[in-house]
Amino acid sequence: MQLDFAAIKGDSRNYKILVGVLAAVVIAGLAAYGVAYMYGFRLWGVNNYVTWGQLITVDFFFIGLSAGSLVVSSLVYVFGQERYKPIGRIAVLMGLLLMISAMLTVLTDLGRPEKFWRLFMYFYLSNMKSMFGINGIFYAGYILLLGTYLVAALSGSKLTKFIAPVAVLWAMLVHMGTGAIVGFIETRHVMYSPLKPIEFISAAFASGLALVMLLSYLTLKFSKRPLDKDMFVSLGKFLVVLILVLMVLVAVDKLTHFYPPKREAVMFLISGPWAWIFWLQVVLGYFIPLAILCNPWLRKKVNWVIAACAICVVGIFFERAAIIFPGLSQPLEYYPGEIAGIWGARGGFLIMPAETLQTLGIVAVLGLVFVLGLKYMDLLPAPAAAEHAEGEASEQATPAAEGGQA
Amino acid sequence: MANWGMVIDLDKCVGCQACSLACKAENNVPHGTPYEHDRHHDMYWHKVIAAHEGEYPAVNTQIIPMPCMHCSSPPCVNVCPSKATFKRGDGIVVQNFRRCLGCRYCIVACPYGARNFNFKDQQDEEYQRPDLPPDLAAEVGGLKYGAEIGPWPYPHRTRGVVEKCTYCFHRIDEALLRIENGADIKIGVDVVPACVEACPTEARFFGDLDDPESTVSRLLASRTYIKLREDMLTNPKTIYLPR
Amino acid sequence: MNETAADKPNSPEPKRSNGFKISRRAFLGVSGAAAAVLAVVLALKRPKFGPDQGFETQETNGLARDENGLPAEVLIPTSCLNCPTRCAVRVRRVETTLGKTKVVRIFGNPASTYSDGRCCSRSHVGLQVLYNAGRFSMPLRRRADVEKGRAVSYENDFEEIGWDEALQEVAGHIQGTTPDRLLILEGLNTTSNEDLIHQFALACGTPNLFKEEGLETDADRRGKMLADGLGNSGYELVSEDGTSAKYIISFSSGIVESERPLARNLRLWGKMRRELPNRTKVVSFDPRHSVTASRADEWHPINPGSEGALAMAIAHVIIAEGLYDADFIANHAEGFEAFRTVALAHQFSPESVSEACGVDAETITKVAREFAQARPAVAWSGEAATGWAYGTFASHAIYCLNALAGSIDVPGGIVYQQYPPYAPMPALPVSQTGITYYDMDQAAGGMATAIGFNSNLIMSVPESGEGAKWDQRLKDLYYVHVGPARSEMAAYADIILPTCTYLEDWGYESAIPGSGYAEARIKQPVIDPRDESRPPARVIFDIATLLGQAAAFVPPSSGVTGDSQSFPEQFAAYRTSPFIAWDDFKRVGVWKGGAYSYRSYAFGNFRFHSEGLERVRNVDLPREEAPYGLELAIYRPVLEIRGGSQNFPWAQEMYLVMHGRGWKNLVELNRETAHRLGIGEGDEVIVESAFGEIEGEAAVIEGMRPGVVAIATGQGHFASGEFADDIGCNPMEVMGTEYDEESGQPTLFSTRVGIRKA
Repeated sequence: MQLDFAAIKGDSRNYKILVGVLAAVVIAGLAAYGVAYMYGFRLWGVNNYVTWGQLITVDFFFIGLSAGSLVVSSLVYVFGQERYKPIGRIAVLMGLLLMISAMLTVLTDLGRPEKFWRLFMYFYLSNMKSMFGINGIFYAGYILLLGTYLVAALSGSKLTKFIAPVAVLWAMLVHMGTGAIVGFIETRHVMYSPLKPIEFISAAFASGLALVMLLSYLTLKFSKRPLDKDMFVSLGKFLVVLILVLMVLVAVDKLTHFYPPKREAVMFLISGPWAWIFWLQVVLGYFIPLAILCNPWLRKKVNWVIAACAICVVGIFFERAAIIFPGLSQPLEYYPGEIAGIWGARGGFLIMPAETLQTLGIVAVLGLVFVLGLKYMDLLPAPAAAEHAEGEASEQATPAAEGGQA
Repeated sequence: MANWGMVIDLDKCVGCQACSLACKAENNVPHGTPYEHDRHHDMYWHKVIAAHEGEYPAVNTQIIPMPCMHCSSPPCVNVCPSKATFKRGDGIVVQNFRRCLGCRYCIVACPYGARNFNFKDQQDEEYQRPDLPPDLAAEVGGLKYGAEIGPWPYPHRTRGVVEKCTYCFHRIDEALLRIENGADIKIGVDVVPACVEACPTEARFFGDLDDPESTVSRLLASRTYIKLREDMLTNPKTIYLPR
Repeated sequence: MNETAADKPNSPEPKRSNGFKISRRAFLGVSGAAAAVLAVVLALKRPKFGPDQGFETQETNGLARDENGLPAEVLIPTSCLNCPTRCAVRVRRVETTLGKTKVVRIFGNPASTYSDGRCCSRSHVGLQVLYNAGRFSMPLRRRADVEKGRAVSYENDFEEIGWDEALQEVAGHIQGTTPDRLLILEGLNTTSNEDLIHQFALACGTPNLFKEEGLETDADRRGKMLADGLGNSGYELVSEDGTSAKYIISFSSGIVESERPLARNLRLWGKMRRELPNRTKVVSFDPRHSVTASRADEWHPINPGSEGALAMAIAHVIIAEGLYDADFIANHAEGFEAFRTVALAHQFSPESVSEACGVDAETITKVAREFAQARPAVAWSGEAATGWAYGTFASHAIYCLNALAGSIDVPGGIVYQQYPPYAPMPALPVSQTGITYYDMDQAAGGMATAIGFNSNLIMSVPESGEGAKWDQRLKDLYYVHVGPARSEMAAYADIILPTCTYLEDWGYESAIPGSGYAEARIKQPVIDPRDESRPPARVIFDIATLLGQAAAFVPPSSGVTGDSQSFPEQFAAYRTSPFIAWDDFKRVGVWKGGAYSYRSYAFGNFRFHSEGLERVRNVDLPREEAPYGLELAIYRPVLEIRGGSQNFPWAQEMYLVMHGRGWKNLVELNRETAHRLGIGEGDEVIVESAFGEIEGEAAVIEGMRPGVVAIATGQGHFASGEFADDIGCNPMEVMGTEYDEESGQPTLFSTRVGIRKA
């Protein structure tokens, strides 16, 4: 089936409002960053204990989502599954945009952002023992690859057959590298695990798929493009498998660390002051989506499936947060006994306006480019003939909304 | 090449914190404020911790001064992407502020909490005080130097980089220079880090761990010694003699 | 209408982008350009040096350098004054390429063998004392009708006046005050300034010279003087030839945190515990698990105020078992028989005392036996042991243990401090001055004018809270504050005369009891006094001159010319001239007296004073049920800078090492006590007594005797500066007034308090 893709007109008032709101948030985020750049990171919630905060959480989250988006695209471009073609291009674009946004978060999280190029320019001359250094190579290549992938996909080129598998595999490498950033650090027992890279990619798949489903559904719906509800339901089944795999990985990891005698880290995670993050991860990320998607009645209803996707995405965000915040907050045991005062205190984290606004700003950048991309690129399947008529009718009914021709 | 290490005798230490204060003075480490103290934003290159065990009246308190451990297998060096922190040939783990991106990966990796992120410029209000070491926003040879150069002594460091104890390598390097020019001084005897020099009970020692005749080697040979978090296998070169 | 899509004017034909078809050429062009940019950036930004390089230390750090490339710097010997120990130090001063002079480091002075060339942690804070933002630059006069004390605003409440005008006004007030109504307060000053203040008091003819150090030490000193009449005894700990005390009992004494001479104690602690053949055993009796208690070999928690009784119980055992130094008792002591009778009474038996002090009889007996047989052994009384109504006798009882163990005037034991042979001050008609706290307290209501030299009175006395006795008195007095920086006493001043800090001052210091042999240390400026601040010596001289008393300060043929500006240095040079040439003193910084001769018993016989000794048995036990049932025990952490201000962020941010906290003091309770009162860790609590209340943060710890609440001093400031004000609480404000009658010292440990959640 030859599928036609077409951009949206982007004239409607809602669209303009959306663009306007997103642009405003972007500007606010930019201003927040400017202020933080001038006054230092003391305006943020990070401190010498919880030294990574909202931005790195979002970074991990977005890299995961990017890798996961490519899963959907691989269904189309690697496995040639035609029925998922309508959302294939969106998936590729999201992959690229999420990655670039993730890099924005990393860049703005650096204490000396003007030196960010060191992460990417030096390639093998950076410290190759450091996962940041290795990831610099991975990320840089990944972005280039995704750019090529997107161009190839948008121009309908045959090259996608070659680029797509490489991009998907590279995406897995990228996100496993990201997982290794935390997984290889023995100091932080909550983070330390050989399973982390795999856990990360598994979470990426689940959340990426969920996000693509969510976003593409919403986009197709609001732009009144052809929407195959069965496609989403079948993707929902796929999502169940991915969530199950993720659950198993997380459970195995936690159980391993829970086995006596050394279990403070897991106890800190699941019953300490940050336990709410972990339980949100589990309930929102796994239990509720599974409950919906395994329910024989609900899983056939597209709205419920999409709701499950949204909840899953939020839950996986908390999974990332559950690694960073409890991981870094757990006090270091320099010496047996109770270490007095600030040296033995767990790290805290405040939600500070500058950091929050900046994070929202970067998310808004993502949203803005995506929304603008809908207008300037052929991302969505073209309106079908039947929808023509529908569209016509609605146009005639509200001529002003479409720019006022009759 | 020497392999510098430090030995701290916990039996002699009385927790007076002269070491922490001397470090602050020697290295122009910025002080904090009560707000920063609560937020854990303040900067300590050297800290003294107290670890309590036991119930009244059988109370046991260990007072442990903690500079950077200058591990032989430093986790921070492994994870620094820009090689801003590296282990010198003589074993000192050094921080090159020029290269530091401020990504804080090293803070995540350090098992001893030895590293601090610099949250604010030293040109902020409370730093504009004449007790600051020489003003490095200086004009030297017609060139205006920015804050990030960080040469020693008394570097004026920019914010956004990670800092830590350096075993006062500026003293060591200057001593090496003088020895080259014929001075009869010995590192570990005449030239030691500021914390070692300041300790009133003489609980701290510095020297070449590879030299079997140095004070540190002899001390380690004569008593049981402990390394903090030995299970991490970082092989720290700041070694403790327990009470 | 039958229209085709193409016909419709606004056909909903989907708007197509250009399909993103990029020509191969364009693609290659863009990629090539990107690659070129990348290559250029890499080439420019490639690392030009290996990681080991890049530390240009020579030309880029702004320090002026000499011809060898080494920094232009100088080490100036002087001495510290952050506590009464006054250690010799060397101070490093550098010049910058911009022509600025900065004082950057403080080190010990190896020329001083008193502490083996060491200085304690406080000395490093001297940099912040020198550069304290709260320093006064000009004399200040309080504007009329402005309220004194806590409501002070230094910016608005004072006007700057010139020195001449200020001095005239001060002299005028002193002249207008009869000597008996003139009060002179002496905080922590250099020895040379103390001598000048003393002379000033004599010149003014006033007996009312109050030394604030006595608030902590008068009872202890009096107790010792009952035995030897000298008042200059110290604990040598380690003699110059390496004989050390083998056993130390600390009676609530913060030997390694607050007891003077601290730096010496610290250095000798290291020596005694690890560097000498026989390790000194240390036993601590203390209601708190203090730093000293935690370092000691044994900590036995006791009831506050039971130290004297405990000492008598130990004496009981020693005498009963005949373990005392019979030779010393026979040949160099008197009054032993009466003492023996008192000690052997049942009320001082270990069994009886153990109820009062909370240590079991076996432990008392064991410690007594060990103490008496490990010679030389030292019994050390702390401020907490003697701050009671029977404090003099508690001090005496503890002191007698040293006699029983034969530690008096022996190597490693108690020695009698020698002082440098200063050149004489001119004689004056009045030759006596000095009052106790008791005298001052009784008379203060009748005082008209007070002048305080670096005084810290309002932070150090009971009943000092807002509206309380001392707050009111200082408001009623005409008060002249002579000091370097903003402080709570300055907040009550009518006139502030800004002095320079100790790092800018001329003078001399005498080593306090500890070494036995005399030691003098110079005070010389490491930098010129800031702004218009002047050395205290000059201020005293100028006022005296205006009072027509200059002659009291210009000894004949002394080299003191009578010129105001040169007076401080000339005076110090004159006073030290009998034993050292001034240029030598300036170069070396330290003069050491002749070796100490032991067993000279300059006091004659050691007098065992028995009358009143039984009062130490009246230990007031904690009463849990009473509204004020807890015992308040204050302590002085090492980083309390004893100069009056605490506006020093380095000291503040690591203030309490045992608690790992800074910028605070805490209300410290035992876990059981806290549980009973329903107080948890970190709770805001109110500490109240019959005399006032304060608010603080609770710390629930194991290292505290139940029924005792401990609060560190040094916080609770309200007028010192941004790094000290509104931090923590001042426990003095809830203290009531009681006296040790023998010495007139206020009892700082006998107040009972209650605690409740805020």
